[in-house]
Amino acid sequence: MKKIKIAILLALLSTGFSACQDDLLDQPNPNTLTEQQFWKSESDAQQGINAAYAMFYKPGIWSRWMYFRLDLTSDEGFSKSPWIELGDWTRFQYINYNFWEGNSNTWRDTYKAIFRCNQVLDKVPSIQFTDSRKKDQILAQAKFLRALHYYYAAILWENVPLVLKTSTPEDLPKQNTLEEVWAQVIKDLTEASGALPGSWDDANVGRPTKGAAMALLGKVYMQQHDWQKAKSAFDYLVTGEGKGYYKLVDNFQDNFTHLNENNTESVFEIQFSDANKGADGDNTNASMGNTRAQFFAPRSIGWSDGQARNWIVAEFKKEKTADGKIDPRLRYTLFYPGLEADFGDKIYGRSWQWDADEAWFKKYSRDYYRNNEDYYSQVNERMIRYADILLLYAEALNELGQTGDAVKYVDMVRSRSKMLPLTTAYPETGTDKDKFRERLKIERELELCGESLRWVDLKRWGDLDVQSKVDVISQRDPDFKNFVPGKHNRLPIPQNEVENNINLKQNKGY
Amino acid sequence: MIQKHLPQKRGMIPSPHLLFRKRTEMFTHFLLLFFLFFSTVTLAQNTRISGKVTDKKGVPIPGVNVKIKGTSTGSATDADGIYSLNASRGGSSLVFSFVGYTSKEVPINGRTTIDVQLDEETTSLNEVVVVGYGTQQKKDLTGAVSVVKAADIQKRQATTVAEAMQGLATGVNIRGGGQPGSEANILIRGLKNLSGTNPLYVIDGLISTANRDFNPNDIESIQILKDASAAAIYGSRAANGVIIITTKKGKEGPMRIDFSGKSSLQTIPTYNLAGTDEFARLNNMAYDNAGVSRQKLDLTTNTDWQKEAFRTGSVNDYNLTFSGGSKDGSYLVSANYFGNKGTVISTKFDRYSLRVNTSGTKGIFRIGENIAISNSRSDEMSGNPIIDVVRLLPTIPVYNKANPGGYGYGDEAKARTFGTNPVAIADLEDRTNENLRIRGNLFSELQFLPYLKYRLNLGYETSSDHYSYLRKQGNWTLNQAFDPAIANENRATSSTQLIENTLSFNKVFKKHSLNIVAGQSYQKDEYAQINGTKRNLLVNPTGGYFNVLDQGNEPQTGGFRTRSDLISYFGRFEYNYDDRYLLNGVVRRDGTSRFGFGNQWGSYPSVSGAWKISNEKFFNSSWINDLKVRASYGTLGSSNIGPYDYIPLVNTFSTIAMGRDQHIESGATQVQLANTNLHWEKLIQQNYGFDASFLNHKLSLTAEYFIARTEDVLFGFPIAMTTGNDGGNPRVNGITLGNKGFEFTATYREDAGDFKYYATANLTTLNNNVISLGYNRNNTYVGNTVTQVGQPVGMWYVLQTDGIFQNADEVNSYKNAKGVTIQPNAKPGDIRFKDNNGDGQITNSDKVVVGSPWPNYEIGLNLGASYKGFDFSMNWFGAFGATVFNGPRSVMDRFDDNSNYRAGIQPWTPDNPNTNVPRAYYGTTLNSRGDTDRWLENGSFMRLKFVSIAYNIPKAIVNKIGFANAQISVSGQNLLTFTKYTGLDPEFLNASIFEKGYDYGAFPNVRMYSMGLQFGF
Repeated sequence: MKKIKIAILLALLSTGFSACQDDLLDQPNPNTLTEQQFWKSESDAQQGINAAYAMFYKPGIWSRWMYFRLDLTSDEGFSKSPWIELGDWTRFQYINYNFWEGNSNTWRDTYKAIFRCNQVLDKVPSIQFTDSRKKDQILAQAKFLRALHYYYAAILWENVPLVLKTSTPEDLPKQNTLEEVWAQVIKDLTEASGALPGSWDDANVGRPTKGAAMALLGKVYMQQHDWQKAKSAFDYLVTGEGKGYYKLVDNFQDNFTHLNENNTESVFEIQFSDANKGADGDNTNASMGNTRAQFFAPRSIGWSDGQARNWIVAEFKKEKTADGKIDPRLRYTLFYPGLEADFGDKIYGRSWQWDADEAWFKKYSRDYYRNNEDYYSQVNERMIRYADILLLYAEALNELGQTGDAVKYVDMVRSRSKMLPLTTAYPETGTDKDKFRERLKIERELELCGESLRWVDLKRWGDLDVQSKVDVISQRDPDFKNFVPGKHNRLPIPQNEVENNINLKQNKGY
Repeated sequence: MIQKHLPQKRGMIPSPHLLFRKRTEMFTHFLLLFFLFFSTVTLAQNTRISGKVTDKKGVPIPGVNVKIKGTSTGSATDADGIYSLNASRGGSSLVFSFVGYTSKEVPINGRTTIDVQLDEETTSLNEVVVVGYGTQQKKDLTGAVSVVKAADIQKRQATTVAEAMQGLATGVNIRGGGQPGSEANILIRGLKNLSGTNPLYVIDGLISTANRDFNPNDIESIQILKDASAAAIYGSRAANGVIIITTKKGKEGPMRIDFSGKSSLQTIPTYNLAGTDEFARLNNMAYDNAGVSRQKLDLTTNTDWQKEAFRTGSVNDYNLTFSGGSKDGSYLVSANYFGNKGTVISTKFDRYSLRVNTSGTKGIFRIGENIAISNSRSDEMSGNPIIDVVRLLPTIPVYNKANPGGYGYGDEAKARTFGTNPVAIADLEDRTNENLRIRGNLFSELQFLPYLKYRLNLGYETSSDHYSYLRKQGNWTLNQAFDPAIANENRATSSTQLIENTLSFNKVFKKHSLNIVAGQSYQKDEYAQINGTKRNLLVNPTGGYFNVLDQGNEPQTGGFRTRSDLISYFGRFEYNYDDRYLLNGVVRRDGTSRFGFGNQWGSYPSVSGAWKISNEKFFNSSWINDLKVRASYGTLGSSNIGPYDYIPLVNTFSTIAMGRDQHIESGATQVQLANTNLHWEKLIQQNYGFDASFLNHKLSLTAEYFIARTEDVLFGFPIAMTTGNDGGNPRVNGITLGNKGFEFTATYREDAGDFKYYATANLTTLNNNVISLGYNRNNTYVGNTVTQVGQPVGMWYVLQTDGIFQNADEVNSYKNAKGVTIQPNAKPGDIRFKDNNGDGQITNSDKVVVGSPWPNYEIGLNLGASYKGFDFSMNWFGAFGATVFNGPRSVMDRFDDNSNYRAGIQPWTPDNPNTNVPRAYYGTTLNSRGDTDRWLENGSFMRLKFVSIAYNIPKAIVNKIGFANAQISVSGQNLLTFTKYTGLDPEFLNASIFEKGYDYGAFPNVRMYSMGLQFGF
């Protein structure tokens, strides 16, 4: 009997799981690939670069807050948001440097995008491709995107750390100077432009072309006042081998709707889509839409956290078209109290009572076909538009002393909107470098208002460097009364980054 | 038992008589041992006596010593009070003894079944403690274990066990609850682990969670294993302590039916907010001061948003239990309904549960099961009304037909706020969460030999969860984006399977008593979820929408699975010499699938000992009844992380539009970084304590001091955003923490006479400090806190305010050493900040550490008295010394942004300069910036957690109507609070470990008024 008991006991104990314990402890994740399994094939490389494009849809950068930094901070826009802190970040009242919507989210998403580019640049070189040109193009796209994000980081914070390798959790990168950041952007763009095609097939339209890389490269040189190199870069698009790809579209409005995207005027566009209606994280069905319109639309249509300064309306009305009409660009640039009277257009299908000094950004809004907005605007953001390049080209020529040559590029832009030739309307600008420059500033405003370029322009023109020039700006945008030259030219770095990374110093004055 | 020795001097030579006695004792012991051995191989020849030992109320007493008088043949009762022993050696009577009970001698008279009832002694050590895979008497404990009486828990009205335990045990900090169906958070002996601090629950041997699906009325006993040596047997998940719950079992006898019912009303604490008149005056002042034209306030409206959002809640809790049993078996069937209508509109929680516990014995075989089925459904809160009632202005009407959906909210001209209308969101967003849970275990035991038992325990727990969300069309805040009607459903199944084999050996050799447990266990946890969403739902003409996923468009689906496995081997020996020296040792070896190859296994030994000084011959005191000192050293491992955290994964969810046709392409990349070398977190804890009782057990004391060190704590240490990481900070063995604490409990109990009373006071102090941080950092900053090596976690790190500028002179003369005016733009009425670095300007570099969010000490005070049929009891709980951040006040007291104001607030004006509130100014966040000490407050409090009076209807009356007993009671919870904190509740919960003291508008503890009825027949 005792033996039986012991036998039962042993039998029960041996039904334990010791035999197969190591198998049990090796539980693979059933939900997705591991990083080790990835980065093996051409398709992986393509997926990797695609994921870098998905960063354009994140609110920290191009689906939302970047427009607050670039459009509202400049003298074109401002905020009357009942959310005071959000508004403070458009009028140089930076108090909590960790304010997510104003600063940290943009910083984080910038580096999140760079992390994706770095992964491609680190992992793809060792993948075997049947066509090495395709591999080069993928790497070139990653370099272009990395350069683009560093370009805007340099505009916003200037002294940012250059992270150029796939991150590890313990990384505390060293800070770089603005010059070092520009040098890296130039290096990436130069390398990218060597491999990017002049144009893509229909399926790949939307990826950066050689022209996009040259255009961005030119912009970097412009910010550094290296006019000669800027001109050389723009030559590709305006007079060089890329010339054939670019032409202004006839209808100005086509640059701001979903109806004629990736047209001949587009140098580089963010490809937004309303196909997904999810949140903005990294989950399934994540949003691919732009929320700019939802945040900038007039009260009751959108949050109305940002609106346009009314001086722009007056600026538009200073000069009539050749046939004596209001500059047609005003019609597609702003919502303002006189819009219905001036052009007969209702706004989001209805008439409005607004204060006389109010205006809203109309570009990228969807009132041309619907009466409300949401978080999923599909309208592609024309990040680099040929009209912008023409005006920059003219600016570079003027700075190089070739004012006479510059005029025709301004006229190309003006004539599309039926404006008289520049030297007819403003004869002295044809020969006077300074007068040309001052007029060009206005030309850029009228053509490019609300396209996230104004803040970059103000920095380049040096209009933020001395108090006397800031005083001029603050007459049209009182927010600039808070502006301290030498301090507010750049944002504070998010405080937690400075505190938690011993290699980072807070920007001067903060 | 209390041993009374004659006085004797140390070193005295024993008399020859004594020596002789010892020899004869040894001889008889030897003989008995021989017989015992013989008897085991010739079992059939022996008479076996068995029976059950209960207390006066019929509750089984485990661990009772049963001896045949005049021999050392003995046994002890098991968890159900059952004993059995061989009586072939001719003893004439049995002696039953157990600490806390008067010994009883019962003649055998040839019987084979002897059931005994023991009378309680007046002592505090009368408890048997379930210590995991076995029981111990409290007097024999060598580690730190707290026992919470089930009766104390069941008196209170609480959704979860945790919520009901508040203040009842030392070193156990419990926060949270209040909302219908909400779970409380438990912290045992301070912060040891950052990634989920809740302890391990073991319910009837099943590793589980005593969440809201669990009916607290089913509890028979609760023990909290606090130190490493006590918890070590549970190994890897015991680092935050272990709460062992035993559920009620049937007792021998005819069927007993018990009913208990409780009904309560709940009220929520509220703010004292301005009405329209006061609001308008202050709001206009803020606009005027800023030179902004006033809002066109609607002075005809005066909405009390707290009245709209809050209401009197109610709780109904009914239990019906059927139980009974025979010598060989027992059963208990209990049914429970618990319903809570929340104090916030459109919130409620309903639970139905059923439990069946049975067991049966035949010969050496015993089998039993405990199973509970419950269905819980909660209507969850939308938005955060605790903050929204402040953010909305009294001039906004609740309803406004002009708005989509028909609700009032902010208005650009009249009421500029983005506050959410709580009535609107409660209506427009429906969230319900329903769980069907089956939790149970099946065990069988084979008592091979009187001292050797094998037990197989099969545990299974599964839960079907169903979450559903309906978004109706309409707005609750100003300028809200358009959303169509949306339905989302989410279904998930989780399961835990447990297989445990244990062998226990329990034997007394003369003065040596040895208890050994060896075992092996395997546990598998699985979870799987699917979810789906549709938009633009079909409108139902009879109202609402067809909120099924067949309707609508733009479908989205998702789903995932996880699994983790744990294999363990463990052993424990308990050695007791002469009831004077106790030594326990535990070792556990765990292997988990949550770490990569090479890091999966960890072994954790513990050792503890105790010396019962009062049992020494030299010890003689007429007033000290018991004295025991104990010490332990234990190690534990923890792998409290996600199942796959060590694996760098690729996120394949990116989609992009591309091409002339704007087609969709997919993308894949690593989004969240991972640390591949994750390994076991290790807790090393020393515990020193003593237990003593005095004055014939009327006064008992327990004191403990512990030193804990948690090495390589697994958690998401904040990493730089420049890494580009998203999806949460990757888990890392990121911090080593030290905790030191002192716990003290004193009880005085007077049980003689008609008037009985007791008082228990407990005190806990705790000190945590950071020994080292991950990634070789010296500090980390999170929100308004800094965590530095050598300091406690999450110290307040803010700007210091220094009063208010009274005039322009004060502004101009506020200069640093170099004569730089520090706040040149300040105006009279603005806050003066301290320029701590002396650089002549106020920046983030002026921030300093100003306080700790951790209390210096916590105290609990439990008082009770009874007289004839009346019972009175009350529990107080207090925590002292914490500095906390009043988040809601940082909203109410600001004038830069529109929200309602605190009633009676006095902003600075030239006419009213004697105030600590800066001038009202609409439009800049400087005075109201959130990173200053302006919002820090003393978080000390003392609170009456519970008070009750019960009346037991005299038996004579009760029996007449056929009942066995009946009790009615009235009680209250959280009725009184003494604090200087100006928020709703100083006893709030913040789940972020670095911001423990930040009250972001946490749901407060509610006040409760209850009536209870209990009867049995």
